[in-house]
Amino acid sequence: MAYVSMGEAHRRITEYLNRFCDSVSYQDSSTLCRLLSFSSNSASLLSLADALNVFQDASSLIRQSDKFTEYEEILTHLFRSLQSYRVGNLVEAYLAFEKFANAFVQEFRNWESAWALEALYVVCYEVRVLAEMADKELTSNGKSPEKLKAAGSLLMKVFGVLAGKSPKRVGALYVTCQLFKTYFKLGTVNLCRSVIRSIETARIFDFEEFPTRDKVTYMYYTGRLEVFNENFPAADTKLSYALQYCNPKKERNIRMILKYLIPVKLSIGILPTNELLRNHKLHEYINVVQALRKGDLRLLRHALDEHEDRWLVVDCSCVDSSAIRFLRSGVYLVLEKLELQVYQRLMKKIYINQKLSDPARAHQLKLEVIAKALRWLGMDMDLDEVECIMTILIHKNLAKGYLAHKSKVVVLSKQDPFPKLNGKPVGS
Amino acid sequence: MNKTLSAADVQASDVRPLPVLEETLRYLLSLLDSTEHSFEAVHDFIFDRTRSIRQDLSMQNLANERVIHLYEEISHLCVYSVDFIILTLKWVLIQVKFHVIARQRLQSCSTTSISSMHHLNMEQLAKTLTTLYDIYDANRKPDYIYQNEAEFRSLYVLLHLNPSSGVMGEPMALWFRKLTSVLIKSKEMCFVRNLLRLYRMGNYKNFISALASEATYLQYCTSEPHIREMRSLAVQCINNVCYKLQPYPLLRLSQNLMMKEVDVESLCHECGLETCTDSDGCIVLPTKQPNLRRPEEGFKGYDLIGFEMKRLL
Repeated sequence: MAYVSMGEAHRRITEYLNRFCDSVSYQDSSTLCRLLSFSSNSASLLSLADALNVFQDASSLIRQSDKFTEYEEILTHLFRSLQSYRVGNLVEAYLAFEKFANAFVQEFRNWESAWALEALYVVCYEVRVLAEMADKELTSNGKSPEKLKAAGSLLMKVFGVLAGKSPKRVGALYVTCQLFKTYFKLGTVNLCRSVIRSIETARIFDFEEFPTRDKVTYMYYTGRLEVFNENFPAADTKLSYALQYCNPKKERNIRMILKYLIPVKLSIGILPTNELLRNHKLHEYINVVQALRKGDLRLLRHALDEHEDRWLVVDCSCVDSSAIRFLRSGVYLVLEKLELQVYQRLMKKIYINQKLSDPARAHQLKLEVIAKALRWLGMDMDLDEVECIMTILIHKNLAKGYLAHKSKVVVLSKQDPFPKLNGKPVGS
Repeated sequence: MNKTLSAADVQASDVRPLPVLEETLRYLLSLLDSTEHSFEAVHDFIFDRTRSIRQDLSMQNLANERVIHLYEEISHLCVYSVDFIILTLKWVLIQVKFHVIARQRLQSCSTTSISSMHHLNMEQLAKTLTTLYDIYDANRKPDYIYQNEAEFRSLYVLLHLNPSSGVMGEPMALWFRKLTSVLIKSKEMCFVRNLLRLYRMGNYKNFISALASEATYLQYCTSEPHIREMRSLAVQCINNVCYKLQPYPLLRLSQNLMMKEVDVESLCHECGLETCTDSDGCIVLPTKQPNLRRPEEGFKGYDLIGFEMKRLL
């Protein structure tokens, strides 16, 4: 913390107070945003914080002028929060910011137009981010983290304020997305349901009215929820929307969308090119896609298994296996389900091979031949196991035909023996 | 046997301290071996008492090693009860088949009462497991798992193999997200993840054989309904897929499903399918029968042949 003289501190605080009150009077949202954005760690905010910690009695300054006293409650809490933030007392910083936010939202309610919406966004963002920092501090001190949960409640309140007929309702989607981020972080994803219901069924909201940026984020999170629930057609629609309307310059966001969209597309039989995977640094899917292309079961198992892939360590500090990484992102179960499609591909390859050498009998796949192909891939299966899998493939319509168990052969139908998925997931 | 107090009646002074609760549970466990009362009466009493133990525990907000042990024991009780219920039902059905059962026994041990016992048990198991997991998490030391934690966590996966069974509600993908790496890599979790993969694929043969070769007693009991599902699926698949001119030998099926041949026959009939004897005297299932139906929801768990239960005590 830099040394600040009392005079200088006085000057800085008064300057801030003036800026704040002017921005409200002149409805200057962008200035107000800058004044509230703690986590940006801007030089001016940090220097203000230093000044506050030196001056100590900022309230007296606020009460000095009528211009400032109008916002006394808001400013007092704001200053206290900033002071705590500066010295690293993040729990205190959050608590004070929460009080500030409550007071600010009350004022916001009284402002007729939606001029301060951007500033409200900043407040919501800071509430969430400060709560996360506070929880980290609590955990490191052996206490149970509860501030992010409180932030969730506050954000719900803000949502309620925006859910009305006024033009402010356009901000509801931004707050929704902050709520999504909060719930995802907390793991209480089921809480998303109620706010989704409000957005999608309430008559006051028209989805098309919301800013594109917020719509993209919304579709990303709701798409992810569909992935968790394995509703693939819905997940495809939402994530594809997010991809389509995402700002092409936001590479990180595109990558995040693709991370979930790719497994969904794979489950409905649509494969990305290796180029796409490389361009967006999604190397973890290269083996999976290759396994699907070649019918290589061993490769699929390898891509999903416990071995640690050191070369895949891009942004994590610890080395985790692919299984763990996929489990963490929530796509593991989706990828595992691809196994039957890989079997289908393998059968198709055997069929195509046989067509070349003996076209008259190509549609008869001997179980022994299949077992041999699997052995070649390093998978040892007895004929009963092979028969079981072939039965399932046919039952789930990944292959058409029948199984003559006595003759130990699968007889494929002459027409379209391996139906395409056609946008529908396996077994539907 | 006294009635339980409702939650409203219990006051702070009535809440029993931990040592008393431990002693109560020890007493309840000893009741399992008693032959004095009918199983139903014993079950109801134990159910009430364990529920009140859980209430007392949660009111005191206790969370330590001894409490964890209590919850684990209660989970044991629930799973053992399932086993007793299935055994009781089998016994009842055999009696009915041979018309030897006393009318009173039949009345007091109707399928509906067993069905509701089972349902209550599954609910209590689910609730107890949830509380147990919360306590595990609250007392989490980095990279540490409790002695039995991996196995008790694995039970959650087994309870949720079928997403439409709706036992606890959270999607599996979300649940896995929250597990620590140490847990995910544990032998028990790897085992049930493998079972989950086989189940979702519909690989009835390997699901049953994997379960039989590696499951602990608790895991086996929790998986019993899924063994039944997989077996029904096998019958369904074979009927739909196999060559009409080559009826499927039940002996073969019984080996793949680890069942007695006579049980396979019974299962086919439950699915609305007819079996017959071929020229060699073997019982076979003619395929492509149109009358295939879902077998009734029930607990007719056929024995798992070739399975040695490893009791976890």
